[in-house]
Amino acid sequence: MTPRNRSSYRLWAARICWVAAAALALALAGNRGAEAQRTTEQFIPIGQSPGLSGVVTYVGEIVAVQPGSGTLTMRRPGDTGTVTVAITGDTRIWLDRSEIGLPNVSGGFGDLAEGGVAEIHFRDPDTRRSAAWVKVQSVDPR
Amino acid sequence: MQIEIILHVAHPVRCWARLSLFGLACVLAQGCDRTGPPVDPLVAKGRDLFFNETFDGNGRTCGTCHPAENNFAIDPTFIATLPADDPLFVAEFVPALAENFENPRLMREFGLIVENLDGFGDLESVFTLRGVPHVLALPTSVDSAAGPRTGWSGDGAPGDGTLRAFATGAVIQHFPKTLGRVPGVDFRLPTDEELDALEAFQLSLGRQEDLRLPLALKGVVASRGQEIFLDNTLGKCNACHANAGANGDPNIFGPGAGNLNFNTGVEDLPDQPADLTGELVPPDDGFGTPGDGEFNTPTLVEAADTGPFFHNNSVETIEGAVAFYNGDAFNNSPAGQLLLAATGSGINLDGTQVVEVAAFLRVLNALENIRVSIESLEQGLERARQPAKEALRIAVADTEDSIAVLAGGGLHPAAVAHLREARRLTERAADGLFRRDALVRDAIAAQQRARAELLQEDTS
Repeated sequence: MTPRNRSSYRLWAARICWVAAAALALALAGNRGAEAQRTTEQFIPIGQSPGLSGVVTYVGEIVAVQPGSGTLTMRRPGDTGTVTVAITGDTRIWLDRSEIGLPNVSGGFGDLAEGGVAEIHFRDPDTRRSAAWVKVQSVDPR
Repeated sequence: MQIEIILHVAHPVRCWARLSLFGLACVLAQGCDRTGPPVDPLVAKGRDLFFNETFDGNGRTCGTCHPAENNFAIDPTFIATLPADDPLFVAEFVPALAENFENPRLMREFGLIVENLDGFGDLESVFTLRGVPHVLALPTSVDSAAGPRTGWSGDGAPGDGTLRAFATGAVIQHFPKTLGRVPGVDFRLPTDEELDALEAFQLSLGRQEDLRLPLALKGVVASRGQEIFLDNTLGKCNACHANAGANGDPNIFGPGAGNLNFNTGVEDLPDQPADLTGELVPPDDGFGTPGDGEFNTPTLVEAADTGPFFHNNSVETIEGAVAFYNGDAFNNSPAGQLLLAATGSGINLDGTQVVEVAAFLRVLNALENIRVSIESLEQGLERARQPAKEALRIAVADTEDSIAVLAGGGLHPAAVAHLREARRLTERAADGLFRRDALVRDAIAAQQRARAELLQEDTS
């Protein structure tokens, strides 16, 4: 191998290493965009989330809560069909108390009740299987 | 009629008075008749909102933390110039915000502000303290293959996470009258139209595209710095800061990688200034909840005059920021280990090389400031009196930055002399009534002479 060939081999090998490392880095980090934590979301009332409400979220009435399966079934006004979505351990649930002039607070599965108005942001808007967050309207001053 | 009566006194006096009136009329005409180039109405609306709209909150505007005269960012030096009743300091004079909204000491000493990125459930102990990043060149830094990246860790915006949605989160975090943060009570949320305008304005600021390195620099120190910067076996800077911007090198990370998040170990730096105070400074876990320790890559062209550096303002100088990549905190970090795996070594620059890379970044920054200064000076020629004065004021601020950035690194004294002349001329043009156009043209020429000292040819 001539010095020139050795030099180009080294450059080629370095490039391969760079690209492999970059691919690994992107694989580790690249899927996290949709899971980004944006905590101020908590204080945005139902139906007003910029770029989400009216675009990919689902606002409707809770028609069933299934604690056993950890799912929630919703229906939109005027719709005949329903949507059932899984509430997982990392689904954030917020109680929207903006209508009564109180701060929105974190809630839990127990705060989801039939008849309530809620907004769901699906993890994957195409499959609609699980919720990234749920906002449920609350008039509870506690 | 009245003027005619007054002037009907004596012939020489009348002539002088008529000439004076003519001159005054010319001055007024010069000031009033210019409308300048058409400004995108959405951008103009966004600008007005950015600097004037409080969203019925605590008095802060976007411009409170992103003032135009300080590169759309704040630092301790700038903060020290503000009056005690500036809305930045609401935690010091609004009782409802006295606790758990800001840390006034760390704000004043280190330019740090409180962010509740891991939630609002425990305001006393769960928060982060971050510097205020500038909002320049955003068209070059927000997009990534994994979605939009906003704020220091890329996850600053609620909603769909876009720059457009960012303002909503900023109002909730920084504008409330009380920590209840009730919309309609503590603030109002921006409307869709306002979000559109704010986004348009922010996207209009600064560079609209990345540079194409290498530049034909004249200075030997900065030129060597550029070589080191671009050398993927030595400085390795260009891999993550392609063309000194905020995006990964497409030859390495692929064409659509865009802005990337990395854990570079900044949080592991020993002796961080804010920690030395004894104040509570919880670790910042970066992107996500729980965080993964990653922060997004900032642009470097605008870096030299927008320190302190890194998300926690932990390093004051651009030389220190370059030197950070030599240390254990970086080389033991996930990003450092990635670099080790890819190249067989970490980053090990000697003192001269650190200064050379920093000199390169100083020169890039000065070139960008000169570009912006000339742009502002040209607006000073085209616009009516008050907008022209504002444009000239920005030109003065950017020229002062150019001077500080070059002189601070002992670089290009001849260029610094031209820039001082440009500043003097611009100040005269901004303050005086007469010869504005001539002064502005001379100032532009001085800026161009300064640029010619930095570049072999006009490639900027």
